[in-house]
Order: sequence, then structure tokens, then C-alpha cells
Amino acid sequence: MKDSTDLDPELKAMPVVVFQLSKTFYDESRGEVQAVDRIDFECHPGEIFGLLGANGAGKTTTLRMLSTILEPTSGKAYIQGHEVRRDPEGARRSLGFYSASTALYPRLTGRETLEFFARVNRYPAAGVDERVDYLIERFGVGEYADARVDKLSSGMKQKVSIARTVAHDPPILIFDEPTVGLDVLAALELQNVIRELKEDGKTIVFSTHIMSEAERLCDRIAIIHRGHILICDTLEGLRARSGAHYLEDIFVHYVRDVGGDTPDDAVEDASVEVLDSAVDE
Amino acid sequence: MNLYEIRLLYIRELRSALRERSIVIGSLLVPLLLYPVMLWLAFTAITFLQGQGERFVSRVAVVGLPAEHEALRDEIAEVESVELVAAPARGEAPSPGAGEGRGEGSGWAGTLEEAVVTGEVDAVAEFLPPQASADDLDGNFRVRLIFDSSEDRSVKARQRLVEVVDTYRDRWIRRQATDLGIEDRAWEGIRIERLDLATSDERGAFVLGMMVPLLMIIMIAVGCFYPAVDTIAGERERSTWETSLSLAPSRTALLVSKYLYVATLGGVAGLLNLAAMTLSMSAILAPLMGDDGAGFEFRIPWAAMPLMAAASVLLALFIAAGMMVCAAFARNFKEGQSMVGPFYMLCIVPVLFVQSPDLTLNLRTALIPIVNVALLFREAITGVFDVPAIALTFAVEGLTIAACLAVARFVLGFEDVVTGTHQGGIGKFLGRIRGRAPRRPMREIAS
Repeated sequence: MKDSTDLDPELKAMPVVVFQLSKTFYDESRGEVQAVDRIDFECHPGEIFGLLGANGAGKTTTLRMLSTILEPTSGKAYIQGHEVRRDPEGARRSLGFYSASTALYPRLTGRETLEFFARVNRYPAAGVDERVDYLIERFGVGEYADARVDKLSSGMKQKVSIARTVAHDPPILIFDEPTVGLDVLAALELQNVIRELKEDGKTIVFSTHIMSEAERLCDRIAIIHRGHILICDTLEGLRARSGAHYLEDIFVHYVRDVGGDTPDDAVEDASVEVLDSAVDE
Repeated sequence: MNLYEIRLLYIRELRSALRERSIVIGSLLVPLLLYPVMLWLAFTAITFLQGQGERFVSRVAVVGLPAEHEALRDEIAEVESVELVAAPARGEAPSPGAGEGRGEGSGWAGTLEEAVVTGEVDAVAEFLPPQASADDLDGNFRVRLIFDSSEDRSVKARQRLVEVVDTYRDRWIRRQATDLGIEDRAWEGIRIERLDLATSDERGAFVLGMMVPLLMIIMIAVGCFYPAVDTIAGERERSTWETSLSLAPSRTALLVSKYLYVATLGGVAGLLNLAAMTLSMSAILAPLMGDDGAGFEFRIPWAAMPLMAAASVLLALFIAAGMMVCAAFARNFKEGQSMVGPFYMLCIVPVLFVQSPDLTLNLRTALIPIVNVALLFREAITGVFDVPAIALTFAVEGLTIAACLAVARFVLGFEDVVTGTHQGGIGKFLGRIRGRAPRRPMREIAS
């Protein structure tokens, strides 16, 4: 198993490196469930890396392992050189994690939220106030910065939520299906923000089941299915390899191509989700 | 573990908690205001009921009054809260309207007992001839008071009759004695006098010693209850649990800050309760005890305060740890309440046994958690300080806290418990650690 010292110099420079990462859950009715099975990938500095897969494919489990919420059963993952099991605090300090299950503390104000996240994630103390003011202005939350979060509309909450994700200015951002539940305009706005963050030099790991979103945002896309990464490449590379143009077709091509196993259910799930996303957009 | 991070997390918890109404009420307002408000309400209610009782007019009847005691009827009739109603003598046929004295014109059908039971009259004083005895003097009498103890109005009427008859009897005896040439001091040869060696402070401390331990422990448990449920199960319900898990500080720092926050609110609830009792007891409780209250000084001695405060903090640390272990298995607030509830009862029930005055803090009772602190409270209030037993109490509580924290660490070492995805509560977890399902502690907490 590779350790940080074992990393190739080229890999060492990568903000996110994943080696043979696996996760097994115990389920009362199903017994042991292999949610993620020996996956490998790395993210290049300043890119948006997409994990594309249907529900239950292992996207969220992978991202939760990267953000150290879950502990890998085996394998290793490095965030800015911090191995997630050996140095989880270091890994967490280096990333911002945004997902539908990471809500804001409802009884704090927006300003208090940003200040708390900046300080607790170790943004330099002397610059916290300035950083909070900057975030309030950048994300346009000035009008309601001093209102309690539970009084805010969902759109306002979303802005505060993104601002708190980047409060400590981490080099790596993880977005786990960030547009789920958002209306079309809010989803587009969020995509713009993610693009801006990329322009700021952030490395972004982005999971989605919405094909158009992945097409629009991601520099490289990994198709994950039943805990395995089937393929990982740029959109152009995927097109060239699969011979299909649209990501939806590429996705179906690889998912159907899983050896000895025709994952009809997954394709069906994905199709439904594609349809959902088409309706959304 | 980093103290700066723990402080930040702790302040965040407290700030959130102090903006939550149920926590502020349960952990701060109830301990602070419960006694003054509860006692004021009781005082007001008692005063109101007394006033109502005074205004209430008792309908009484006098039957078979000997001629030489006719004055007694007048004395009864003169009592403002008594209305004398007519009644036939026993054995006579009921005759409506056959009145005598006040109450002329009122009548009833049936026996005296039936009249009382049916409420036609509240009580009856039936004069009977003295039991045959050679020593009886002329004019001796017996009075049977007929009343219904299941009816408040009847009990009140009896009390009023007793007062008048007693006064009349004393006066009559005195007069008879004088007529026989016997001086008061001769026939009042046997007197009972009371000499209570307890000071008013000691009497008050005895009463407080019975009340305060139970109330203190209830308040500390109430103070911990909502914060413990809210900080774990509440966070899971609000989807902020994962937000907290994704913060840079270690899981240990996160859990320590939550634990300290729960213990703080429990401890504060206990201390506020102590202060409220100290300030309100003498002002409100003494008047509640009526005439007896004048002989009581309801004051918790200042010397007992530091010891009680320290014991409150220890108890809060213990209860907070226990409640957080229970709440760890809950996925939402409702589950949290039902899982922490039994532990709450477990804290309260032992204290009920401490109400026996025979039970004291000694080297044996000091070994029983919660009971030892309850006894320590009681003895501190009454000014008893058994130093070895107190030291042992603190040691036992400290060990209990350590044991609870060890259990918490073990339980929260399981990934599904710490992430809130464990299903089936404590029972299933216990089944699992007995080996029916894989156990895989998380390295970050368990190591």
C-alpha cells in the first residue's frame, strides 16, 4: 500500500490522490455491502473533477471518505498530502465540503456562521474579519448577514452555505450533488460560482448524476458504477474512447459495458435521472 | 486535542443553545423560577382556599340540648360562619318546619345521619346523656358530632362545632370546679409543655434537607436533558451533524466540546436552582407553613454552598456523559427523547429512597452514585460534614464519570453510531457488540 512517502513526485503534487480505496458497510438485511471497491483516481490542481454515477453508485461514499466523515475500509486517499486516516484533521483543514447533508447551523447568523467556519478551520486569526467581510460581499449576502440562518430563504441559505464552504480558503473543494433540490436558476447560479472558484485556482471534486451539469463544468469525468470507476477521462477523451458524443450516451455505453453484468436497473435509474434533470433544466 | 478548537466549538454550541427556546426554558428559566413561581402559586392557592373556606357558611343542627346548656345554642348561633338549622330530636318523626333558634322554618325528612349524608345539613351536634356513673355531676353531657369526612363542607362544619363546644366545655368545667371550691391550679395539675431544642435554622434545614436533594438532582437532569438530545439527535435531524463532522477539529475535540456544553447547562441549572432556593425559600415557604412557619428558618447555610456547588458540577458531568451516550444512538429529536428518558428516570428514582431520614452519608452509602450526592446535599444543608464520606463520594463520582466517558468513547468509536446511521437503538447495538454483527471501531475516536 502506498504511503505519502511512496507517492511518485508527480502524484505528490496532486491535491487529491486516491489509491485502491474501498468501503464496506454492514446492513442488517443485506449483510456486508461493498459501496466502493478499490477505486483509484487523482485530481489535478485547479481542475474540476467530476464523479458521475447513478444513485447508489458510490459517489457520496467516496466523497465522504475524502472528507473523512467515513473511514475507508481499505486503501488510501490523500488530500493535499494528508492521508485521510492518518491525518484526518489535516485533510479537513485543506478542504471545504458541501453537500445536501451538511446544512447550516440554523441558530447562528450568516456572519457568525462564516466567522465560525473560518476560525475553526484555522484561517489565520488576524485576517478572519476581513475574510468574512470579503465573503459577505462576494456572495452577496450583505443584506441578511446578520439575520439568523433559519430565517433565510433557501436561495439565501445556499449562498451562505457556499460561502462557509470556502470560509477558510481551502485549496480543495468537494461538492456532493450540490444542485439537488435547487430550481433551474439557483442551479445555474451555483454552477457559475463553481466555475469562478475554479478560476480562483481551487481544485474541485464534484459529484452529480446530471449529465448536462457534468458536461458543462467538469474538466475530467470519472464514471462510477456499483462502487467501481469504469472510466476516467476528459469529455473529449470519453467521446473518443466510446465513440459517442453525448455524455448520456457515453454513460450508458460504459455502464452497459460492465463485463458479465448488464446493469439494467442502473441504466434505468440513470435514464430517469437524466429525464429528471431535463425537466429541471 | 486543541483547547482553542474546543473553545470555539463550545462557544458555538452555547450560542446556538441560548437561542433555542426549549433549552433556555428547560435549563435556565425552570431552575431559576420554578421555586419562586411554584411556591407563590401554592401560597396564592392556599390563601384563596382559606378565604373561600372562611366565607363558607356551615349549616349545623343541634339536637337534644339539655336545658342547662341552652347558652351553647346561642354561642353556636353567634358564630358568623355557622347557620343553625332546625332538626328533630332522635326518635321523633321528622317534621318539616319544626325549627328552633336560627334556621327556623327549615326542615328535613329522614334520620340525622341521612340528613348529613344527603347534604341537608353539614354537621349535627347531638347531645347525649352522660354514661351512667356514680361520679357524674349534674349537667355533665356527651356530644356526638355527626359529619361526613368525605365532604369538605361537612369536615369544616365539624371543625367549627368543635371549636365552639370545646370553648363552652372548658368554661363550664371551670365554673363547676369553682362551684365545688376547687381552684384552677388544683385540677390543672398535669400539663404538657414543649421544649424544642432545635433552633429555627435547624428546623428549616431539616425540611430543606428532605426537599433540596431531590429537586437539585431533578433540575440538573432537566438541565442536561434537552442540550444532550439537541446537540446530537437534534443536529442529525437538522442535517448539521455532518457539517460538524466535516470541521477541521478532531472528533475528540468535537465531542469534548459538546460534552462540556451539556454539562455546563446541567451544572448551571443546578447552581441556578440552588440560588433560587436560597433566595426564595425563607421568603415564600415560611408563610406557607402558617403558624408553624414562624419556627422555621429556611436558609441553606453559606458553608454548604461550595460543597454543594462542587457536587452539582460533578453530578452534571456524570449525567451529561450518561445522557450523551444514550442520545448517540438517536437519529432525530424524538428518538433522542425516548432514549434519554430512561436514563433520566434512572437518575431520579434512587433519590426517592434517600427521603428516609435514617439514611445517612457514610462510607457505604458514599459508594452509590447519585444517592451519595443526594445524601451529601442533605447533610451539607443540615451542617453535617463527614469528611471521609465526602471524599469518597467525590472519588466515586469521578470514577463514574470516567466510566461513562469510556463507554461514550467506545460507543462513538463505531462509525455508524458516530455518523448517525445506526439503526435499532441501544438494544441492537448491545446485540452487535456481543458478536452478532461485525464491529469496526473508527480509528479517529477509538485509537
